[in-house]
Amino acid sequence: MAVDLAVPSFDPECHLGSGCGFPAPGADIFFFDPVWTFTILGIEFNITKQIILLVLVGAAVVGFFWYAFRRPALVPRGAQNVGEMGYLFIRDGIARDTIGKAGDRFVPLLFTAFFLVWPLNFLGILPFAQIPVTATFAIPVAFALVIYFTWVPLGIKRQGVGGFFKAMTMPPDVPKAMYVLLIPIEFVSNFLVRPFTHCVRLFANMFAGHLLIATFSVGAFYLLSASVLGIIGSTASFVVAVGMTAFEVLIQFLQAYVFTMLAAVYLNDAVHGH
Amino acid sequence: MSDLAWSMSSKVLAGILIYGGLGWVLDRWLGFDAIFLPVGVILGAAIALYLVFVRLDRSSSPEGRNR
Repeated sequence: MAVDLAVPSFDPECHLGSGCGFPAPGADIFFFDPVWTFTILGIEFNITKQIILLVLVGAAVVGFFWYAFRRPALVPRGAQNVGEMGYLFIRDGIARDTIGKAGDRFVPLLFTAFFLVWPLNFLGILPFAQIPVTATFAIPVAFALVIYFTWVPLGIKRQGVGGFFKAMTMPPDVPKAMYVLLIPIEFVSNFLVRPFTHCVRLFANMFAGHLLIATFSVGAFYLLSASVLGIIGSTASFVVAVGMTAFEVLIQFLQAYVFTMLAAVYLNDAVHGH
Repeated sequence: MSDLAWSMSSKVLAGILIYGGLGWVLDRWLGFDAIFLPVGVILGAAIALYLVFVRLDRSSSPEGRNR
């Protein structure tokens, strides 16, 4: 099973001065040829590198936490220590901080969200993987929809249809006449724009970060030639690529945190009102 | 209201989209090029900002801190 690993437009003979022009990486670096194609009920399924990585990450995350908590000891050691740190980070840092005591029951959902999104982001700089799976728009969309179809029905269940939509669209202490103008804005911003920004924020950050690293890496390779400009340019481009990679580590964590934090904020609206 | 900082941009965006869109529809309907569209965009941004202020006012008053 050969997985296409290289940058699609990559030509090893292309350097400054060989007249080929800078092969700027575009959106095509996010698309890989399907490894396996099959059809179920007339629907065509294309298994690409991203899907394989998604399954592998899922298995690795489940495997790690299963291993970490296989024999929980009162005084944690090794992997259990790491697992508990992750758990407490989500429970105290996100769930309780945003939702309060009622947040405890959402810890499994938030924990899953964070520890799926973060490793999927991290794949962007992992050698051989080198593609953030979350930079494929469908993946963050799916995650955001799971959150959306959790907090909206939950809010209706907790506050009733009328109570929930009143809390979400009618801010208190406002002159009655203003509601005509405010309700459309609140409705669109809370129920339509919100799931959109939730996934676009994650997708766009990972997409742009990957493109930046790819551009400076290809730039370092392209500029590599026997000239002053080539050597200086290539070195500078390589340094920036390394710096961007380090910066990306921070962004990957931050975006996973923001995604989870926003999920907690939305759940809080469902539990306590907007 | 840790939510507020995050929802501000989406509220302003929603305001501009709705009232700008409404203005655009009015323009098409009444046969203007662009009269109600800019009016709607500015009005939408203004209403959305008012909404943000109202939410902010409530979240920073003592009785608003219920969690």
